[in-house]
Amino acid sequence: MAKPTGFLEFTRELPQKRPPAERVNDYYEFVERYTDEKLNQQAARCMDCGIPFCHHGCPLGNVIPEFNDAVYRKSWKEAYDILTSTNNFPEFTGRICPAPCETSCVLGINQPAITIEEIEKHIIEIAFDHGFVKAQRPNVRTGKKIAVVGSGPAGLAVAAQLNYAGHNVTVFERDDLPGGLLRYGIPDFKLEKWVVERRIKLMEEEGIVFSCNSNVGVDISINDLLREYHAIVLAGGSTIPRDLSIPGRELKGVHFAMDFLKQQNKRVSDIKVENENIFATNKNVVVIGGGDTGSDCVGTSNRHKALSVTQFELLPKPPDSRTSFMPWPTYPMLMKTTSSHEEGVQRNWAIATKEFVGDENGNLKALKIVSLEWKFTDDDKPAKFVEVEGSETEIPCELALLAMGFLHPQYEGLLEQLEIELDERGNVRASEKNYHTNISKIFAAGDMRRGQSLVVWAISEGRECARKVDEYLMGHSLLEAKDQNILHEL
Amino acid sequence: MANKGLYHPEFEHDSCGIGFVANIKSNKSHQIISDALTILENMEHRGACGCEPNTGDGAGILIQTPHEFFFDECLKHGIHLPTYSKYGVGVLFFPKDIRLREECRDIFNRSAETLGLEILGYRRVPVNTDGIGLTALSVEPEIEQVFIACPDHINNPINFERKLFVLRNYAAQTINNTVRKDAVGFYVASLSYKTVIYKGQLTSLQLRNYYPDLSNKKIVSAFGLIHSRFATNTFPSWKLAQPFRYIAHNGEINTLQGNLNWLRTSEKSFVSQYFSKEEMEMLLPVVEQGQSDSACLDNMIELLTLCGRSLPHVMMMLIPEAWDGNEHMDPIKKAFYEFHASFMEPWDGPASISFTDGRLIGATLDRNGLRPSRYCITTDDRVIMASETGVLPIDPKLIKEKGRLQPGKMFVVDLEEGRIISDDEIKKKICSQKPYSDWLNKYKIRLEELPEPRVMFTHLEHRQVFQYQKAFGYTTEDLDLLIAPMALTGKEPTGSMGSDVPLAVLSNEPQHLSSYFKQLFAQVTNPPIDPIREKLVMSLATFVGNNGNLLEEDPLSCHCVALKHPVLSNHELEKIRSIDTGIFQAKTLQTYFMADGKPGSLQRGIERLCRYAVDAVADGFEVLILSDRAIDSEHAAIPSLLATAAVHHHLIKKGLRGQVGLVIEAGDVWEVHHFACLIGFGATCINPYLALSTIRDMKISGKLMTDLNSTDLKKNYVKAVNEGLLKVFSKMGISTFQSYQGAQIFEIIGIDKSVINKYFTGATSRIEGMGLDEIANETLVKHFFSFSRKNIPIERLTVGGAYQWKRKGEFHLFNPQTIHLLQYSTRMNDYSIFKKYSKLVNDQTEKAATLRSLFQFKNNRPSISIDEVEPAENIYKRFATGAMSFGSISWEAHTTLAIAMNRLGGKSNTGEGGEDEIRYVRLPNGDSMRSAIKQVASARFGVTSEYLTEAEELQIKMAQGAKPGEGGQLPGHKVDDWIGRVRHATAGVGLISPPPHHDIYSIEDLAQLIFDLKNANRNARINVKLVSKAGVGTIAAGVAKAKADVILISGHDGGTGASPLSSIKHAGLPWELGLAETHQTLVKNKLRSRVIVQTDGQLKTGRDIAIATLLGAEEWGVATAALVVEGCIMMRKCHLNTCPVGVATQNPELRKRFTGEADHVVNLFKFLTQELREIMAELGFRTINEMVGQVDYLEKRENITHPKFSKLDLSPILYKEPASKFTGLYKSEDQDHGLAEVLDWKLLKAAQPAIDHLQKVRHSFNIQNTDRTTGTILSNEISKKYKAQGLPDDTIHFKFSGTAGQSFAAFNTRGVTLELEGDANDYFGKGLSGAKLIIYPSKDAGFVPEENIIIGNVAFYGATSGEAYIRGKAGERFCVRNSGANVVVEGVGDHGCEYMTGGNAVILGETGRNFAAGMSGGIAYVYNVQHNFDSLCNKEMVDLDPVDGEDEKVLRHMIAQHYQLTNSTVAKFILNDFENQLKNFIKVFPKDYKKILVDTKEMIPVK
Repeated sequence: MAKPTGFLEFTRELPQKRPPAERVNDYYEFVERYTDEKLNQQAARCMDCGIPFCHHGCPLGNVIPEFNDAVYRKSWKEAYDILTSTNNFPEFTGRICPAPCETSCVLGINQPAITIEEIEKHIIEIAFDHGFVKAQRPNVRTGKKIAVVGSGPAGLAVAAQLNYAGHNVTVFERDDLPGGLLRYGIPDFKLEKWVVERRIKLMEEEGIVFSCNSNVGVDISINDLLREYHAIVLAGGSTIPRDLSIPGRELKGVHFAMDFLKQQNKRVSDIKVENENIFATNKNVVVIGGGDTGSDCVGTSNRHKALSVTQFELLPKPPDSRTSFMPWPTYPMLMKTTSSHEEGVQRNWAIATKEFVGDENGNLKALKIVSLEWKFTDDDKPAKFVEVEGSETEIPCELALLAMGFLHPQYEGLLEQLEIELDERGNVRASEKNYHTNISKIFAAGDMRRGQSLVVWAISEGRECARKVDEYLMGHSLLEAKDQNILHEL
Repeated sequence: MANKGLYHPEFEHDSCGIGFVANIKSNKSHQIISDALTILENMEHRGACGCEPNTGDGAGILIQTPHEFFFDECLKHGIHLPTYSKYGVGVLFFPKDIRLREECRDIFNRSAETLGLEILGYRRVPVNTDGIGLTALSVEPEIEQVFIACPDHINNPINFERKLFVLRNYAAQTINNTVRKDAVGFYVASLSYKTVIYKGQLTSLQLRNYYPDLSNKKIVSAFGLIHSRFATNTFPSWKLAQPFRYIAHNGEINTLQGNLNWLRTSEKSFVSQYFSKEEMEMLLPVVEQGQSDSACLDNMIELLTLCGRSLPHVMMMLIPEAWDGNEHMDPIKKAFYEFHASFMEPWDGPASISFTDGRLIGATLDRNGLRPSRYCITTDDRVIMASETGVLPIDPKLIKEKGRLQPGKMFVVDLEEGRIISDDEIKKKICSQKPYSDWLNKYKIRLEELPEPRVMFTHLEHRQVFQYQKAFGYTTEDLDLLIAPMALTGKEPTGSMGSDVPLAVLSNEPQHLSSYFKQLFAQVTNPPIDPIREKLVMSLATFVGNNGNLLEEDPLSCHCVALKHPVLSNHELEKIRSIDTGIFQAKTLQTYFMADGKPGSLQRGIERLCRYAVDAVADGFEVLILSDRAIDSEHAAIPSLLATAAVHHHLIKKGLRGQVGLVIEAGDVWEVHHFACLIGFGATCINPYLALSTIRDMKISGKLMTDLNSTDLKKNYVKAVNEGLLKVFSKMGISTFQSYQGAQIFEIIGIDKSVINKYFTGATSRIEGMGLDEIANETLVKHFFSFSRKNIPIERLTVGGAYQWKRKGEFHLFNPQTIHLLQYSTRMNDYSIFKKYSKLVNDQTEKAATLRSLFQFKNNRPSISIDEVEPAENIYKRFATGAMSFGSISWEAHTTLAIAMNRLGGKSNTGEGGEDEIRYVRLPNGDSMRSAIKQVASARFGVTSEYLTEAEELQIKMAQGAKPGEGGQLPGHKVDDWIGRVRHATAGVGLISPPPHHDIYSIEDLAQLIFDLKNANRNARINVKLVSKAGVGTIAAGVAKAKADVILISGHDGGTGASPLSSIKHAGLPWELGLAETHQTLVKNKLRSRVIVQTDGQLKTGRDIAIATLLGAEEWGVATAALVVEGCIMMRKCHLNTCPVGVATQNPELRKRFTGEADHVVNLFKFLTQELREIMAELGFRTINEMVGQVDYLEKRENITHPKFSKLDLSPILYKEPASKFTGLYKSEDQDHGLAEVLDWKLLKAAQPAIDHLQKVRHSFNIQNTDRTTGTILSNEISKKYKAQGLPDDTIHFKFSGTAGQSFAAFNTRGVTLELEGDANDYFGKGLSGAKLIIYPSKDAGFVPEENIIIGNVAFYGATSGEAYIRGKAGERFCVRNSGANVVVEGVGDHGCEYMTGGNAVILGETGRNFAAGMSGGIAYVYNVQHNFDSLCNKEMVDLDPVDGEDEKVLRHMIAQHYQLTNSTVAKFILNDFENQLKNFIKVFPKDYKKILVDTKEMIPVK
């Protein structure tokens, strides 16, 4: 263990951030690095628990106490090895993970949790600095060919793992560049795109082929893939957003969040935006939906210099701290203030939008909203709501961004052609036992299988799926699985 | 006898009272025999009786051949006896069945004929069976004496004796091999021309009447040697009674299995000038089958004596003094011991042995001196030696000397020379009879003197280290948690919170072979040793080479390599590999097998290895090196333990083992337990090359934050291994490497009989399991990981996960999910969530963790409604929480448990840390923080009369699940003011708990402590806590006979205290085995209905409780789960004081973080009970009593397909021992504690005015050694009324005359003054709680008081306050764990003031060795005129200072008191010359204590 009494000596400190007033003027990341001393102190807080709940809470099974200890000892290569033994892309999760590990940190029972996510980011960036991160080509090739459809975090993880196992992997991406949501969903101020490119480049050096602008089912026939490849992994994500079907939905100025965010990411990367430009500049912006995507819209709108930014959430305002119904170490639904919120936003809870109000030109000019009153279940969960009588008002709004989550993968094209079996939630059916769909040779991983989720889950899905594919092709596998000792395979 | 259950007869133990009386001048008389029998009768309390009071465990007497008596008796039978020494007398136990008897007799006669011996005739020994118990009578033999004439051609009687020896062994073996066995069998009690034995399965009081011979005035002897047995006997047997032919043994041979193996292997090379080749063949094997350890030792002594060594010489060989590292020992004597050590390992264990060959009679104590032996010499030439003083009433005027036998010392009466020979004289004579030191100089090979090796070894480089680590199964945990701390600190790492991982055989993770081996440990029948504080008795010395012929004195016997310890560095190994003295060379054998995964490959590998080993011995090599370095992708290493044991046993079977040293060069050896297993199965020394390389590699790669270089780190590691080994030995009560080597002190769980019988011959393995191919598979998994041809993206060692939960590691029952659900359900009072928790714990079909998970319930009768099951309130009272001390857990955590249990009517347990008096007062809301169970552990912290009085149950902790056989240590920083006060210690000063209770070295001692405690609180149940291990059932039977009310069988897996990691993982067994064995054995012994059986150890659900009940427990302890409910999240950092949830910490900041509530704990027990009642309803049980022991309601689960544990045979656990009609399966009758006749009732009556009205009372009483535990009931009555403060000083003053029994004034409280004229036995002033004691010899005594012993061993053990004045010397361990009494004495034995933490001890005379070991507080003043104290004191923790002004006042006061109260001449002398004599005083001042005192003084503000 790093330092038995570290948690008594130091408290949680996050790295410095550039001040909001400054950072809203650009799209660069604003979280700075720890000083060496601070990093050491933060790692020293780890208690090396007899039961590391963080390690359980992490969807990847990151071996957190071990890397904290290595960081404390400044044993960077070791820390890097530990971290990457469970996580292919710590540079992503270190930036954008909501860190379920930290909510299950034992110290979090009565103190602020360890800054696990920041430590993770530092390990990988220091590893890059020191040149530890090198392309690792497998020494034996199996001759098996694998097609991965989709290059989001799940697809990338599948590809990386299967390549390590010696298979030849081609990743098909319908967009112009690989990365999926990492590239076009998450704003640069949270994840600068060179970080994604750095990883893609490494993967290419390791032997993975990326085929962009290749929309399988449209540009490329699925039958060709089935013929040419020994296995196909579908990792296309959950891309169909939830819509708000209320009067005025057709008005100009009502957009899905992802359309808005993707454009901005392209602009930052100097890539031509093909559709109509959506700008928040000088507008009253309302973001409908209180999640992370909504936050990203807030941050981007502020950078666009919106006149005002407002965020609505249907649900009531969550509590600030755990209640007896959301005990440690479960992931609590708490009031969360993201860095985008820090940059300025009006947040409203228990609000329903009744109507988009347009002007004579079909442009959005206001929203008609109503306050809600929620009824709670016995275990304190919001169950039913009624509109508060007489609370209906209208607020000015020229840009409404719908950030209410995603429903399921896109059916048209690939999935429909495959006539693949779906589960009751509309995702591709494949069990966590083997990630195998009802079609021979075809596997599914990530949001396409799981439904919308976190990047960390996507990576986890990719890794676990890769192992199953390897087993499917080779009979057994030495790829790491998060809950199993590698020796069990021997 | 076919064994269906878990009981095995090898588990039997015994211990006892022994003694002899002899006339030094060899005057024979009948009185001597009568006196000897009186001694026996006065030690009746040291023996035991079985289920019936009139069936004893055994008693007997050995006397000289009463020639006149036999001559007359034989004449009546028409036999004309020749003169004395011209005939031999045999005492034969024949079967009652006449046909069998005559068959035996025929064989015996024919055997005699074969040897050319003439049988003169038989005499039926008259017996009187009046009053003998039915059980004893059921197997009573027909006892006859046979008379055999000495052939004319034999002139020397000793040669005749040798012939008789051959006859006895030959005849007995022939009969045992050919005649059908019945319950009685055939046995020769004695066969000698010199001595005769009368013995049987009798009580001490029955012997005299049973044999009318013994009362015949014509029967005379110059000595009588007696023995009274206290055994754990399950089957009645007459032949187990002692004395044996040469000895009476009080003690236990812990190393028996190894000793017998070594004997067996050397038998093949036995050659003796005293026996012809044919005779030698006739008398082998030396040791008969199915005997007790004492009987085996007797056989060995007999053989060595008859082969020409003198009896004292043999005793010195077999039970040597502690010579290794003893700087004070005479070099000649040391040479003797070292020479003999090179071919004879000690028969180790606590032993007081009285021995005789008919001409010499004597006694000796083992090196630890753990059995009392007191002697008395009279002016009329008598010597009386016995386990207690005062056993034979003697006129004080006649007493010339009173003494005690000292550790390792011998005492011999030469009846021919008519004098007593001192230890010094006899040993000097024996040690100089041969030039032993010349022989050593000439032939012994010293490692450091060997030339540099011919081939130099090169280090493994990082890649190789990694590859080997993978192949041998190292995990990151092994590196980080075991090897690194050992290298950094030189100590074994500690952990806490027990173990909740699967047994090795249940685990899905590939195991190290040694994980199937569980270390055994000492409890009750013999004490563990403190290897740190008492290291003077410990030795790691080992000898590599040929043992030679045991029966002759051959200088070449010591031509071997002598090592100081068994761990070899690479360099040292290469030296040994290179040795060539012309007649001494080493051979390296490769230990690998084909890694082809085919069945039988491993077996073929082993067989080849064994063949090569035999060839190498035949070729004349002296050392075999078994090496696994040469593995590659095709060849996997045979697990070193398997290779070692296989070669060891193969060579034993071939009779070759003694000719070679076995050196193990192995990669799969890194933790202490691995070393211990190898040594336990025969390794002579070990080179852990990979562990050493790992350390070097970790240093180079920056894993270790240290300035030490890798050489230092490796040294540290070796030191840690060595210290760890000593701890492993000592937990079994074994002192030396040599005794441990090959002793097989393990129980194996999960390996098939076929493997055990062949390669681990004689080891205990009761439930079967894996075969060789499964073992091979586990090895190959690791092998293929290392030599895989596939890509592994990130190459890391596997995580292990045994000590911490890890996702890819070992399965833990307490894991993130179960902890969360358990906490959540009890906090929310939601039974449905609890059911989710219990389902997760109980369902172990995918991953098994416990033996009980392999069981399922079997419905043998219709289910009933849960309303018909007895109410939950009835059941709550059967629950207890575990013993956790205030100190190990926080005040908040401790009192919350107490309040919860008191609300339920269950019991919480103080643990061993005492209890704050404020807890005896109820809280305003009616809650009580008082713990119903008060623990009495080895350190006796805060065990006062009041503490005992405030108990509903007193628990004697014999062992602790997490670290059975070990002591503990509370570091000074954890002893704050509060804890210090409660424990009667000084804040800031570290506290040590000794491994043994110093008043329990044997089962009769435990009986004594039970008696003490029952006196101290008659209403409290006495609970004896044992830890599950093979043989715990027989121990429990003994404990039941010792009158315990409750027996707790603790699982190995529990334990909240800090323990060495290797102990947590490798010592003790699951409770399922221990509980089942205990229940079966108690039922078999008809003792079950006398005791409550309780169990604990990771009980987590109602199902666990139900299974415990069906296996025989009517009460249950739940500790870890209760702590989890209080907020524990299994941090496993209790020992670091950093518990982040305030449970196991004393840090005030962290204690604030405690959030546990009594209501939550109450909910836990409600849920457990609810779940239990649901199961009861399902199985149709209305009450718990109905359910206890109904093991036929359990069966093995059907759907077990696991390749490893599907092979387990659980039927011994599920065996239902048929109960007798008269005894039930649960506690239904009360123990008779024998309090009705104690002296205290008289005391109490006399003291009534004092108790009622505070009137002063004075009275006089006579006392004798059978009056034990005096004043304790009286003090209990005072404490009830006056609490801790007792009565005003001297309110009660009682005077006694005579010899006090054990535990005089135990736990006596303030206001009581006891004055004793005479002497006293062991445990004088035990637990003194404020009383004043005065003792001086009889005014008529003819000896000088200060030169003689007046009180026994272990006086003032755990005394907390009070004062005492002792005119005369005390025995061993005076003031051990004293924490507050002020005492004056005139000399003490070894280990004085050991572990003392408070009070003053003034010693006006000599001390023995190892004074002040582990002494952390209090002050001792030693009057040292000889100026030799420096060398006798253990100065590790104390300074020796001159006395200062303050001390002067203390001394003057105490010595003046001493003079005034005892009339001491020493005191008078000192007082008269005080200024001068002060210079002769040395102040023994514990260093930490001094520092704290100085600090406190400095803190007092100067005004």
